Amino acid sequence: MSPVTLTALWAVPLLIAWLSRPRQPAGPGAWILLVAFAALGAWALWFGLYAHAAEPAAFAVWKPTVLYWTLAAILIMAPLFGWGYPVKIVLGTYFALSSREWRWINRGLATVCAILGGVNLLVASRASYKDWVGFKYSCLMILLIIVLFRLNFVWLPLLADVCIVVYRRATAAYRYLSSLF
Amino acid sequence: MPVERKPENIVQLIWPGRRSEEVALDATGKSGGAGEIFAIDSKPGFLAKIYHATTSQAHLAQYQRKIQWMVDNKPALPQIPAEYQDIVQLAWPEALILRQSRFVGFAMQKIAFDRTLELDYLLNRRQAVQEGFDTDYGKLVTVSINLASLINCLHEKRIAIVDLKPMNVKVYKAELYVSILDCDGFHIATDEFRSDAPQVTPEYLASEFHDKSVAHPEAQDRFALATIIFRLLNYGIHPFTGVASDHRNYSPELAGRIKQGLYPYGKVAHKSVRRVPASVHEAFPDSLRELFDRAFTSSGYSRPSAHEWVCALASYASKDSGQMSPCSKGHLRFSGRPCPTCMRDALIHGAEVRRRSFLARVQTAPARTLKYVKKTLRQTHSSPFQAALAQAQLAVVPLAPPAPISTRNAIALEILWISALLITYWWMK
Repeated sequence: MSPVTLTALWAVPLLIAWLSRPRQPAGPGAWILLVAFAALGAWALWFGLYAHAAEPAAFAVWKPTVLYWTLAAILIMAPLFGWGYPVKIVLGTYFALSSREWRWINRGLATVCAILGGVNLLVASRASYKDWVGFKYSCLMILLIIVLFRLNFVWLPLLADVCIVVYRRATAAYRYLSSLF
Repeated sequence: MPVERKPENIVQLIWPGRRSEEVALDATGKSGGAGEIFAIDSKPGFLAKIYHATTSQAHLAQYQRKIQWMVDNKPALPQIPAEYQDIVQLAWPEALILRQSRFVGFAMQKIAFDRTLELDYLLNRRQAVQEGFDTDYGKLVTVSINLASLINCLHEKRIAIVDLKPMNVKVYKAELYVSILDCDGFHIATDEFRSDAPQVTPEYLASEFHDKSVAHPEAQDRFALATIIFRLLNYGIHPFTGVASDHRNYSPELAGRIKQGLYPYGKVAHKSVRRVPASVHEAFPDSLRELFDRAFTSSGYSRPSAHEWVCALASYASKDSGQMSPCSKGHLRFSGRPCPTCMRDALIHGAEVRRRSFLARVQTAPARTLKYVKKTLRQTHSSPFQAALAQAQLAVVPLAPPAPISTRNAIALEILWISALLITYWWMK
């Protein structure tokens, strides 16, 4: 695939997302997460799609830790700076909780991320390469849980909304075409 | 200007008593399995049936013997009032037709097609109305008794129709008398003459004659007559049309069901077959139902004869007997029984309502499904069970209300979410 096609593949959806973004202001917790993921994404895109040289081999071990500790840092720092609880961006779509509950969930998630980042380094240094790979992939379970939550609470209702809109428009088009003949 | 005719269309009519007459034939364009129908130039009240040129000499010889006998032995038919003398009850051969001294066909009285309609049309009320015949049960009973009377006269002469079916019967629209066609195919079994009738129609063939020759033609006529009367009175529903209770061995064809005796309209219900819902046979009087049951559950001469049908129907056909009376809506019905017309209207109306309801449900199914899925996902079902379930879950973890943003904005956010998940995956893999 040419670099232009590859660029279009990630740039076009992001452009659509930007143009159709909600106009209500986003909180600083959301912005800081967005900036962090933009940076991580840029790194991923560069080494995944564009860079001629491969990523430094030693960095492969650090990658999960970088992600976990970045998230842990954001989750810990944001409340200190009064930017709210970034965990609400992740779980606020599904549950309505009190600030106290969000505070503790935020702390819990930050702790989990910090520990996972450390455990990753520990496993990488002490265990065999195969065991480290197994540990790394087992952590993807977190990602799967988020995907399932998102699917159940957001994507399926959204799909239902889209289908209703499509159905109504198709019906209207059918009526219009029927009226012509 | 005289019309020039082909020499083969100049034929000789041989009337009873051997009186001969030369006439010219005009093609009508009507043709059947055995022959072609011609108009007779100087005889407007008659038609000629000329057998096809492909008919073998042996067959022609058989036809000649049969037609000769029929010409000489016309049966006495039911009496009809003097003002209806022009009604033709049988397309009976009246004269032999010879061409160059060789038998080629016969002449018969012409049935006025503009005054008649096929009995087949009476089996479908809408078709009958289109043909200018407004059906009611009084008329149907009258047609039935006239048909039975005519058949009774033939049976008394030991003549049987065998291939008796609605297509071979014409009904005079105003007078309600009937006329039977294709008389040259009748079975004749008199002391001095005998002729078989090989032609049969499986839907009107008695069970014992399937896959066999018709050994008892009058018994066959009894079955066919009962079938026609049943169909006339039951909106065209054949007595062996039904719904299988048990699909094993249920023939898809009527002939197979007749053979198996799957008659579902008896006073005692059949185990293997149910009646069709549109049937109104329960509105028939017991006397007729017993005759139908005997006709369709017994065999041979145990079936009711044409004479029995005449006797059974006579009281209903007579206006003075009071055996038929109008219902509250003015339809004629058998006295003391539910009105078949109202029953049928209710069944049809019910079916129409159900059909419309079904169509409406089909049309709204996609929208309702989506609504249901959406309610399920958002847990906003109005049913008490669903609401209780949702409340029970809310008591454990309070769920967030749906985001107050448009679908377009929500899709934009989800693109960002999916991007973030992909980035996370890349960093963790």
